[in-house]
Amino acid sequence: MIDWVHPGLVLIFGAVLVPFLKGGFKRAYLIILPSVALLCCILSSEGSFGNLSVLGYELVFGRVDRLSLIFSYVFSIMAVVGFVYALHVEDDGQHMAALVYAGSALGVTFAGDLLTLFLFWETLAFSSVFLVWLKRSDEATGAGFRYLMVHVAGGLCLLAGIGLHLANTGSLAFDSMIPFGEGPAFYCILIGFILNAAVPPLGAWLADAYPEATITGAVFMTAFTTKSAVYVLIRAFPGTEILVWLGAVMAIYGVVYAVLENDARRLLAYHIISQVGYMVCGVGLGTTLALNGASSHAFAHILYKALLFMGAGAVMYTTGKRKLTDLGGMYKSMPITMTLYMIGGFSISAVPLFSGFVSKSMVVTAAAEDHRQWIFLMLTLASSGTFLHTGLKLPYYMFFGKDAGIRTEEAPKNMLIAMALLAVLCIVIGVFPGVLYTLLPFEADYVPYTAHHVVSTLGLLGFTALGFFLLLRQLDPTPTISLDTDWFYRKGAKSFVRLVARPVTWIDDNVVGQAYEWIVRGPILGLAQLFRKTDTRAVDGTIHALGSGTLALSSLLRVLQTGQIHHYAIVLALGALALIVTGLLVL
Amino acid sequence: MSILEKILEDPERLKRLKRIGITSLVVFVILEILVVNVFHLGHPHFDFEKLPAFGSLYGLVSCVLIIVVSKLLGKLWLMRREDYYDD
Repeated sequence: MIDWVHPGLVLIFGAVLVPFLKGGFKRAYLIILPSVALLCCILSSEGSFGNLSVLGYELVFGRVDRLSLIFSYVFSIMAVVGFVYALHVEDDGQHMAALVYAGSALGVTFAGDLLTLFLFWETLAFSSVFLVWLKRSDEATGAGFRYLMVHVAGGLCLLAGIGLHLANTGSLAFDSMIPFGEGPAFYCILIGFILNAAVPPLGAWLADAYPEATITGAVFMTAFTTKSAVYVLIRAFPGTEILVWLGAVMAIYGVVYAVLENDARRLLAYHIISQVGYMVCGVGLGTTLALNGASSHAFAHILYKALLFMGAGAVMYTTGKRKLTDLGGMYKSMPITMTLYMIGGFSISAVPLFSGFVSKSMVVTAAAEDHRQWIFLMLTLASSGTFLHTGLKLPYYMFFGKDAGIRTEEAPKNMLIAMALLAVLCIVIGVFPGVLYTLLPFEADYVPYTAHHVVSTLGLLGFTALGFFLLLRQLDPTPTISLDTDWFYRKGAKSFVRLVARPVTWIDDNVVGQAYEWIVRGPILGLAQLFRKTDTRAVDGTIHALGSGTLALSSLLRVLQTGQIHHYAIVLALGALALIVTGLLVL
Repeated sequence: MSILEKILEDPERLKRLKRIGITSLVVFVILEILVVNVFHLGHPHFDFEKLPAFGSLYGLVSCVLIIVVSKLLGKLWLMRREDYYDD
């Protein structure tokens, strides 16, 4: 009797079969496999499974509790819908990378010890980078390498933290780090985690890489890396004060960059950073309401953010354009995509009856109940910014605004179906929040639909819209990019090279070069001279001698070759005589 | 979806749409004052939430602040040509 099947391993090992299937079978398989993983999550009962003893360490592949379950549900739902969206893609590599990626997110979710966690943490980075590389453009290759480099650095930091933690406590159990105090292990693990959560200044990889990924790959990427980081933060660092402030700053940081951004998917990527800010802040607040808020917001966010990326991706798929300056008036050709995108836009903006309203407000209320007025004001300001960009700016310049004259078809059916599925989920969660609340990890009463909450939200959003239309000209997208902390390893690294190039060349010329002259070149030249002499005198002399010897011998032979028949006859007779004498002597 | 196209392309109907928008803003403000300051239905955690129509006011202030400050930061410091990273 098998108690528990690891849904992550279902996806990871299932990925191996993808290249062997064809046509309809392959498409069916790509939907059935994640559905099986989802079913495994739903059928999981709480407990500890997949315990393995390796070299005296206790590894736990399946720690199933309410916290890991809620994240596993949304990860596997996302895997199913993501594959519906990607069904038209004829690239096994992308499908396999996405399966392994989703599987490792589930692996992180169920990991009960730090080594298992680390294993899946690294697989997460190494599988997702292929979703960038397989776009097969120069930009994507570069962005992919930068993405990998940053995540490998973060992974090493995490590994160092795990090593220190093991040395300090002798335990690999993955639980709250708070009781162990704030030592180097604490901070190494924290930095490893917040790097994946894209907390500034460590978060530039997100807005760098996601917009360069394939259209369908980016949809998967929005879901797994940052939200599995939120999960491990909830698990290990609840109530860590610095996260409150990092989260609130992060919520505004994403909004500021979104004002300046022209690339549709990069704008949305900055809003992932902003939204994850609410979750990180919730983890930092650490109350049951705040942790429930972080979990429910992660759940709702995965669904609406994927929907938004799908909408922008659909426009990119049909028009081949991704910059707002090149788009406009798309509602005429793509009304269904526009409508579904707007449902995602209303959800992220926390419009009443959409999912963000019932999840984001938990974190904001938790901040208020904790009497943190500045955090409350920062998070509320970021809410206004969210609506400003995702609900107003992006749809205005992409779907409405100045008509760019592009006329296309709607996106392929499978894309629209995937978007419709997510749109339905966003509305169901918004209208019946109880569905989501029953899954929450902690016991806490929270009622989102109070008269005060609804009217103040409507006022906030309504007047944000007013501000948007009043300052519309200010928001016109410009064909520019914005500097972020990736500058340090993109431009900074180059400047560093230029900076050190001159001293390095000087040292090379004057120290290494001179040393080479004296130590290497001189003796070698001397040796070569010696060889040359040996060559001319001994070797050439020998060959010369051989040559003249041969010449002498041939002139002797030439004497014998007289050309007269009787001389030859004498030689033959002498030869015959010699043979007979030899024969007689031998006998 | 031709209905939407008709509304947006027709200046007369677009004007009506704008009027509806402005009316709903006024309604939001009145509702907020009624709920918070007249019937005291909310549980404000901070004193500033008791200001009349705080939500609406803060929405407008936030929106303007975000746009102005971000644009300033962008123009003075962050925004570069698209080929900035290409060498």
